[in-house]
Amino acid sequence: MRIRRRTLLQWAANLGGLLRLSSVRAWAQAAGFPASQEATLRALAPVVLPAELGPAGIDRITEAFIRWVRNYRAGAEMDHGYGNTRLRSKPASPAPNYLLHLEALRPALASGDADSRRQAVIAALEQAKINDLPRGLDGRHVAADLMAFYFRSSDANDLCYRAAIGRDLCRGLDGSEQAPAPLKEPA
Amino acid sequence: MPPYESDVCILGGGITAAMLALKLLELRPALSVTVVEAGKRLFDTSNRMAYRQRSIDYAENPWPGDFIADQAAQGIISRTMAVGGSALHWGGTCNRFSEEDLRLKSMFGLYTDWPIEWSELEKFYCEAERRLGVSGEPSPFPEDRRSEPYPMPAMAMTHNLIELRKWAEQSGIPFQTTPQAKNTQPYDGRAKCIRCNTCSICPTGARYSPDYTFRRLLERKNFALHDQTLVRKLSLDPSKPTVAAAEAVDYRKPDEPVEYRARVFVLASGYCWSPHLLLLSRSPRFPDGLANSSGLVGRYMCGHAFHSAMIEIDARIYPGMNEQHGLISRRFFRVQDRGRFVRHDLRVWESAAGHEPRLRSGEGKILLGDSLLADWRQRSARGTARVRGYYDVHPDRESSLTLDPASKNRFGDPLPRIEHRLDAATEARRGATREHFQQLFQKLAQAGNGKLMNTSAGNYLDHPAGGCRMGNDPASSVCDSFGQTHDHENLFVAGSPTLPNAGCTNGTLTFVALTLRSAERIASRFPKG
Repeated sequence: MRIRRRTLLQWAANLGGLLRLSSVRAWAQAAGFPASQEATLRALAPVVLPAELGPAGIDRITEAFIRWVRNYRAGAEMDHGYGNTRLRSKPASPAPNYLLHLEALRPALASGDADSRRQAVIAALEQAKINDLPRGLDGRHVAADLMAFYFRSSDANDLCYRAAIGRDLCRGLDGSEQAPAPLKEPA
Repeated sequence: MPPYESDVCILGGGITAAMLALKLLELRPALSVTVVEAGKRLFDTSNRMAYRQRSIDYAENPWPGDFIADQAAQGIISRTMAVGGSALHWGGTCNRFSEEDLRLKSMFGLYTDWPIEWSELEKFYCEAERRLGVSGEPSPFPEDRRSEPYPMPAMAMTHNLIELRKWAEQSGIPFQTTPQAKNTQPYDGRAKCIRCNTCSICPTGARYSPDYTFRRLLERKNFALHDQTLVRKLSLDPSKPTVAAAEAVDYRKPDEPVEYRARVFVLASGYCWSPHLLLLSRSPRFPDGLANSSGLVGRYMCGHAFHSAMIEIDARIYPGMNEQHGLISRRFFRVQDRGRFVRHDLRVWESAAGHEPRLRSGEGKILLGDSLLADWRQRSARGTARVRGYYDVHPDRESSLTLDPASKNRFGDPLPRIEHRLDAATEARRGATREHFQQLFQKLAQAGNGKLMNTSAGNYLDHPAGGCRMGNDPASSVCDSFGQTHDHENLFVAGSPTLPNAGCTNGTLTFVALTLRSAERIASRFPKG
């Protein structure tokens, strides 16, 4: 079949337009995250984060996660490593995937008791074949990534050990020969 | 464009170049020195805290722009190419080699000896430690005696390291803290360490990196730093075998070739790019490249192999107190069993391995929120020691860096391909070495009611060196012990490429010590005053 040159150019222009449109949409979804899914995200957080954080703590982590998504820079250089070194850049923003996951979870999280919410999240993670907490948030499922965002953080490390280790802080050398101070109980 | 002229032209802008330029200008203040580096200068120290945070939060490169996409080598272990080189992101570990590393042939009948006495090298180790600002504690072994104390007290041991040392020494093996180029007090205009736990991007300058030296050197009128400039070839004087010029290209103006002329040229581009440039500089007079009458440029590429283990121990370890600081035992720098040559260092660090949060329980059930935290806490009651031994392996002549015709940069220059190969004696010891480490890891584990979680062998040679090995005989080496090439009296090679073998511990302090010694020889070619 012969394709007329004009037709080919028209297709190429449309394809280019679509690609540009999709990247603009992805950017907008990241910048405005979580947009209309905010209530679902806030309903998801207490299911996947520890109750020990308290409602205020869970809100704080959720806000930090939203900021993380908004400030994500697709295409940024990544650490190229040592030993088996290679150049890599950050993949596309996970925001569009997160919005789809949240939309899928919305009915279950908007109603039902705590146990049914848990079961819905577990079912979603099983369906997405998530086997471990991601090392870097990879967009495979928003529930797994929200958990990884918190549980792999310096704050969660402190909570686990109930000690003010402050892994990611600059803390000075003085006193480091002592075990870290116990965490203060939430007021 | 007219050529840039200087007394000494240093090719490469890493730690070797920084130390060489600094010492040359101290010894001969009137000398003009130019450093040419292919990568960029990343001197924006005020942004380093922000880069560190992006690296933690997003795994972004903490040194944005520290590489050249099409200037890569097969077999290289770091893509960093910037002013400061690999020592921008190094861990600051400053272990010395031991006399055995220099006397393999005469003490053990293996490989080769270095053309330098231990007592001579030791003087320059002291100087290197002063210039880099090393904090450390002396080794308990008399063979490791020092002629000067460390310039700074050792880094404080964290609670974790104290616990790890108690555990490790139950095996009867003495450990000490690892010496590091990190300030335990304000030193040389740089701040005291504030334990950020991210030494690969030190936001304060407490860990030495060469950019600080370069910035200081740039205050001098007779020092020039040309970054983003790739030297592609060295060319010879038409009438004698001395290097006349370095032919380069500025990435910002690639259509205007740049030429450097100098009385002395020093290759300070590390184990990969130094032999690479010599091989690229072939001509009808020297069809195998420069400094290569022995055929040994790009040969005897070396490094050390390693075995690692994770050991669960009965100790309260709080992961993250200071993962960048560890323990070392130098006991195995000496061969313990005369019938079996195994030499290695032995390192211990805190670790969270085996005690990290997980999504699924041991039965495969998904854990959320409280149940995940409970599972994590239950598994974190014991601690983990990360243990590693870098062991002494010796290169074969065919352990090589060659020009790869299938891989070229934007200018059409073939890029390097590194293929390490160990000599027959090392290969013959491989099984016995593995067995030694298995027994050692078991011994460590058992001593403190520990449990060996896993062991592994490295799949590359770490802390690489070689490619222009030093020696007294021009038929079996590329340069003498000062790095002066046997074939070209005004061409030197400095630092890592000159090492015949890479010892059994981190090499940077040795690269710097040898460089400081080379600096004295190079300076002696110029009148004082």
